[in-house]
Amino acid sequence: MPEPLYGFHGRYLEIDLTRGESRVRPLAAGLIADYLGGRGLATRLFYDAVDPLVDPLGPENVFVIAASPLIGTNAPTAGRGHMVFKSPLTGVIGTSNSGGTWGAAFKATGYDAVLVKGRAPSPVFIDITPERTEIVPADRLWGLDAHQTTDALTADVESGVRPKVLCIGPAGENLVRIAAVVNDRNRVYGRCGPGAVWGSKNLKAIRVAGKAKIQVHDKERYQSGYDQALYLMKQAPVTKRLLRELGTSGLVELINVINMLPHRNFQDSLHVEENLEAISGERLAKTLLERAGGCFLCPIGCQRHTRIESEDGTSEKGEGPEYETVVMMGAVCDIYDLEAITRANYRCNELGLDTMSFGGTVACAMELFESGRLRPEEAGGLDLRFGNAALLEPLARETAVRRGAGALIAEGSFRLAERCGRPDLSMSVKRLEIPGYDPRASFTQALGYMTSPSGACHLRGGYAVSLAFFGGTKEIPRFSLLQSPLSVRAMQNKGILQDSLGVCRFTGFAFDVGPWARMMTGVTGLDFSEARLEEIANRIATLERLFNVEAGVSVEDDLLPPRFSEIPIVVAGEERVVSRDAQERMRRDYYIVRGWDADGRPTESTLRELGIRRGRS
Amino acid sequence: MIHRSWTVREDILELFRSIGRASMTYDIQDSHSGNMAIRLLDASGGDQIIITATGSQKGDLDPSQICVLSATETDYGYYKASSETDIHQRILSIEGVRASIHAHTKDLTIATLDDADKPNRPPDFVPIDPLGFHHLGDHVHVDWIAVPSGSPEMADLIPKRLADHPATVIQAHGTFARGRTLKEAFFLQCVANNAGAVIRAAKTLDVNVEELRRRMKADAGAFFAYPPVPYAVEGDEFSEFPEESEILKEFHKTGARVFESWLSPFHTGSMSVRGVSDLLYAPKASMPRDVGGPLLKVPLRPDSSDPPELALHKTIYAETDFQTVMHCYLPEAEAYAHFRYPGEDAPADRIVPIDAEGSFLYLVIPVVPPKTDAETLIRLLHDYKLVVVRGGGVWSVGSQSLSEVLHHPSSLREICLYRIGAFEQGLDLRKMEPKKAKKW
Repeated sequence: MPEPLYGFHGRYLEIDLTRGESRVRPLAAGLIADYLGGRGLATRLFYDAVDPLVDPLGPENVFVIAASPLIGTNAPTAGRGHMVFKSPLTGVIGTSNSGGTWGAAFKATGYDAVLVKGRAPSPVFIDITPERTEIVPADRLWGLDAHQTTDALTADVESGVRPKVLCIGPAGENLVRIAAVVNDRNRVYGRCGPGAVWGSKNLKAIRVAGKAKIQVHDKERYQSGYDQALYLMKQAPVTKRLLRELGTSGLVELINVINMLPHRNFQDSLHVEENLEAISGERLAKTLLERAGGCFLCPIGCQRHTRIESEDGTSEKGEGPEYETVVMMGAVCDIYDLEAITRANYRCNELGLDTMSFGGTVACAMELFESGRLRPEEAGGLDLRFGNAALLEPLARETAVRRGAGALIAEGSFRLAERCGRPDLSMSVKRLEIPGYDPRASFTQALGYMTSPSGACHLRGGYAVSLAFFGGTKEIPRFSLLQSPLSVRAMQNKGILQDSLGVCRFTGFAFDVGPWARMMTGVTGLDFSEARLEEIANRIATLERLFNVEAGVSVEDDLLPPRFSEIPIVVAGEERVVSRDAQERMRRDYYIVRGWDADGRPTESTLRELGIRRGRS
Repeated sequence: MIHRSWTVREDILELFRSIGRASMTYDIQDSHSGNMAIRLLDASGGDQIIITATGSQKGDLDPSQICVLSATETDYGYYKASSETDIHQRILSIEGVRASIHAHTKDLTIATLDDADKPNRPPDFVPIDPLGFHHLGDHVHVDWIAVPSGSPEMADLIPKRLADHPATVIQAHGTFARGRTLKEAFFLQCVANNAGAVIRAAKTLDVNVEELRRRMKADAGAFFAYPPVPYAVEGDEFSEFPEESEILKEFHKTGARVFESWLSPFHTGSMSVRGVSDLLYAPKASMPRDVGGPLLKVPLRPDSSDPPELALHKTIYAETDFQTVMHCYLPEAEAYAHFRYPGEDAPADRIVPIDAEGSFLYLVIPVVPPKTDAETLIRLLHDYKLVVVRGGGVWSVGSQSLSEVLHHPSSLREICLYRIGAFEQGLDLRKMEPKKAKKW
């Protein structure tokens, strides 16, 4: 009789769209023990399957979505999926995470992960249930937006478990490099352009439905971690109240108070207070918010379900905006019109666009336009000046179909700025647009952007701002060259673990990995002490780096754009930059603490210590 | 007679003021009790004693309440000086002694009371904690004196006691301690009171203190973890990482909290923040705000000359990703480490919080024997973040900040106080412990 499996199903799906085949592959317990699930497991399966030099939009590229052993339990927020792929925007590892309910629904199909490769000859969707996996023609869906696709794929189900849909919109179909993959209508795998990878494979959607359950090894131990986690979440102000009442955009005013809120494509961080109030979480809560909502098993409830009433008496409903959307489509573009931002957010969700990269690229285009580097005729007749709120929504539509100025935005800020002869005006690292926290206001944030495996991502790079300003007992200095490399590693590792456990970043406002360690040990029966989790996080970080190095990343890719070392912003009365010297010193030290050499390559001894096998299996 | 003014040097004035305030914070004086003195040569070579005025409030010393006297003859300065100036003058005549303090160390004073018929010679005080044992010796004299304040008998006896002991107790009154500096004398007063606090808490918990003393006497090496470093009188002004201004501020803030919250006596314990190749290290973690202590930058790599305390910081960093480490001597935890549940033969190997916050922050806190190896200690720190070493203080670790690493012993103090309080009331601790803690 086979050994019972605890926490995972012990198998994953491998789907070859070129061949039109799916196979069930065994998943060894050792992989869970070494890579947990979610981001870690997806990264390992991806690394083993992909040539790092592959064309991200070619059939040889692969994407992997993985769930974690905690998914299927009642662990708070444990329902998130994680996708790993080679990014068409950055050319390095793309790693993106989404909430909602799809991750939990996928795990209930009886698989721990799905790996998709190849290219279908014509549009398809994948239908997964515990009983079968089908590759189904999707010509009728091609051209539909994410909401329409979701509706279409859930409407024709006659009975049984209500399916969940993960899909792309027109942006992905048109290989827009900042295209997202959307689940539950408004939750997105946003960053790094996964939607374009799906589009390049002629894959419109993955629909999942099932009731497969997992077994828990030691319920009492699991419960002790669960109780502690829930207690701490009920206690911490951010998780018990703030995010529910104000959403993530409740951060807008706070981040401004600490001089970290970017403005006009990061030219400065100066805002008029009344303007900011107009796009704040407080204003959103008083005007557009209908209700808060939460992802699967989420007691936090940060989702913003909003409605915009028009003057003509019509209204439209949707989700958002989040902090990043408000800042990137708002303050960074010098736009302080909450309704315009919210409408553009709705369009991005429908069309399948990453609001962050979209906002960052629009801001870049605005600076290029105002400096004369982007001519009006290239802008398709749009008035691309800073502050023009009216262009957001039409520009999102044009971007999704690569029309007019949208064709430029579709390539992301770096390619746009390079085309205009000013690549330095792209506020990106590894071609991924920098999120809404100015790195000059925190060395830790700066180094996080520099060393994030997927480019400038505040989550993959370590959510440093949370430590610097509302980290409770863990608050760290903002401008410490000495501590930043270690703090960044610690924050990145924490994020890696959360992504690999399938849980929400915001739980980190209440507790570290301790309760997760107990829950994971209780669920799986494997040793997931905190020391072991720390080792796993280091392993995943180094594997991601190994892929990037093999894909051609060099030390020069781990730097901020020159603006951040040349043009100061004022932080607490002092002019601040992140000098090139400071960047190089932090980068050098970061490599050391990661066990990488001076060129940022994982050393053989580090690979050996972490048990990482180089090369494809 | 040497002509002198009442004006003392600014640095001396500040020293008296800061130690005075610290003694109030540490609650080893009442509003007006005690006295402090130092001996020094003035600019012209005059041999002086600087001493607090009689009736002065040590928490708020005015310049006029710092008296300057001749060390060798009677002069007008004695009119205003402490009523125990004679005692201090004689203490300051002991070879190598440049400072003395008399304090109302309440915990030690209570721990040395007896109800024997007087006159008598009370038993010596025998500390059972590592700081007390190593800094005060294996016993501290306790004397009953008929007129226990400023009397000639005291002036006769106390300097004799202090000739070969760093501190001595006058029963039902307080402690006299001497030092090479005023800070060292204050350090000894704090250590002495801490030793009393450990005994008091242990007795409250029905710990068989006499048995512990017998075991300690039989083999002190086995009874304690490694010895604390001897008190260094120099180097308090060292600050070797001024460029890290934010971290510097954190060290001062955290050090003050350790002292003010009684997590470790003055200038004991240690704390560090890790860099990539160096660690920032405070070897005297318990630092009142305006007294401070050395802040060093030392290489992260082990060095055979490292004292055990520093070596353990380095080992923890070498084996883990933690970024901050603290070691302190929490008297309640030290006492609790010897606690045995009624009817059990061995001391408990864990502290189980019974309070709401403590029980959710820590299901249990491990208590380990004094000679626990570094590997075991680090493994426990990984899982529990703080560990009590019987006879060796409390170690805690943080993933990011000094604030984080401070929170652990601070929580532990409350956890211990609640348990001790519950035990004192005759409550059944076992029944009060969360069931889930039994699995950990």
